[in-house]
Amino acid sequence: MRLAFILSEIGSGLRRNLSMVISVILVTFISLTFVGAAGLLQLQINQMKGYWYDRVQVAVFLCVENSTSPSCAAGPVTEEQRDTIRGMLESETFTPYVASVEYESQDEALGHFQDQFANSPIVDSVTADQLPESFRVNLVDPEKYEVINEAFSSLPGVDVVSDQRELLEKVFSVMNRASLGALLVAGVMTVCAILLIATTIRLSAFSRRRETGIMRLVGASKAVIQLPFILEGVIAAVVGALLASGALWGMSRFVIGGWLAREYPETAFISDQQVLLLVPALILLGALLAGVSSLLTLRRYVKV
Amino acid sequence: MIRFENVTKVYDAKSRPALDSVSLEVDRSEFVFLVGASGSGKSTFIRLVLKEDSASRGAVYVAGQNVANIPSWRVPRLRRGIGVVFQDFRLLPNKTVFANVAFAMQVIGKSRAVIRETVPEVLKTVGLEGKNNRMPHELSGGEQQRVAIARAIVNRPGILLADEPTGNLDPTTSMGIMKVLDRINSNGTTVVMATHDDDIVNTMRKRVVELRNGAVVRDDAQGIYIGETEAVAE
Repeated sequence: MRLAFILSEIGSGLRRNLSMVISVILVTFISLTFVGAAGLLQLQINQMKGYWYDRVQVAVFLCVENSTSPSCAAGPVTEEQRDTIRGMLESETFTPYVASVEYESQDEALGHFQDQFANSPIVDSVTADQLPESFRVNLVDPEKYEVINEAFSSLPGVDVVSDQRELLEKVFSVMNRASLGALLVAGVMTVCAILLIATTIRLSAFSRRRETGIMRLVGASKAVIQLPFILEGVIAAVVGALLASGALWGMSRFVIGGWLAREYPETAFISDQQVLLLVPALILLGALLAGVSSLLTLRRYVKV
Repeated sequence: MIRFENVTKVYDAKSRPALDSVSLEVDRSEFVFLVGASGSGKSTFIRLVLKEDSASRGAVYVAGQNVANIPSWRVPRLRRGIGVVFQDFRLLPNKTVFANVAFAMQVIGKSRAVIRETVPEVLKTVGLEGKNNRMPHELSGGEQQRVAIARAIVNRPGILLADEPTGNLDPTTSMGIMKVLDRINSNGTTVVMATHDDDIVNTMRKRVVELRNGAVVRDDAQGIYIGETEAVAE
């Protein structure tokens, strides 16, 4: 009986304040979408880290004709130097760090270069002897790049030791910043949502002050008086959270899954299943947001 | 049933207290008129009994319990034992007569079956048989007040507080309301009625407690109403 009563109170409250309820839904929708977008970016970063850190290599580039580093002063790398370097990489000293070593000749480098810039006119002006040959080193622990760098960068015949991870870190830092930006927007929108929920509850309390006054007089408990208001806010926020989840899922399915993944088949993208993991978090967040802000409002506007 | 021990209520430290060291006892099943001019402290008395406010000094006992010791979460239980009627009826305009009375039972979790059984009974007690489905605006003032009384007593409280219940009604209608209150009182409910209405007080011949400037100035067992001018002349 009491449940049915509370439900009917909620229903009438939602109907009475329809426009406010819709605005609460929309604001929580937007704010939680941004929260979720930040979450997705973090998931994506983790995904890419997991994927790429297994694949990143340290490249030991060898000297070519016009290398400028001091260790290349003697001109292009000699057969002898190359063998020394290979020998060192495969030696006992480095086995704890080095998982595997591959050699990339100038011709292979050109091949890769042509693949990578297939659509660019730059391809036609590059010849194999301009590109350095290199050793591609897979590390046991990608964090231990410095070991290789220190040992090899000043060796005669080595132009430069480069860590591909550095490039990735740049990409990740851009993505981190984007997710920070999304969180910032989410923060502002969340403040909006809290204030709007508070206003809605206030209006709702005002339009039902007769009922609540009588409830008080006949000895209705605090829960019966306040629950309809709180649930009103929570329901609106949860609807907003569901919309946000839907939007994020659509985004991951159609933008990431349907477009980005096809454009960049090399990259590991998050799947829409992973997005579903965010849904309970968003709903919980929305409900918490509405619950807390309506509780605080009720304390001021609905005397019990 | 209600006992005030040296109760003082100060709303604003600068002005005089609304109740000034009032001691008063109302027994079970008693009918008491609380008379006095506006601002004499009648409404404050009612608010203190309901624990809408707490006394600044002194103690208020309701059904043997010092209301100051009732924790806030138990206040609803206190109020379930007290029915209240106001001058302005305070009905819900968008609910029928039946629904208005049923509302008081719904919000404290009474079952549908109990409500269906009790509400018509109570409506009969207040003389509103057959008006279950009327809306408040279709009723006369007297009938609206009867609905309000029905709502106040539907949960069978031990105490009925009435704050000027006939203030908006003509004398004939008022007498009808008094009959209802008298009948409720004779069923064992303690009734405290704040009023200005000298005719009613003089006709009923019940206990009269007169307040003036927050103090009890008269407490007659079968009293009459003494108007402001006469009281001053005394």
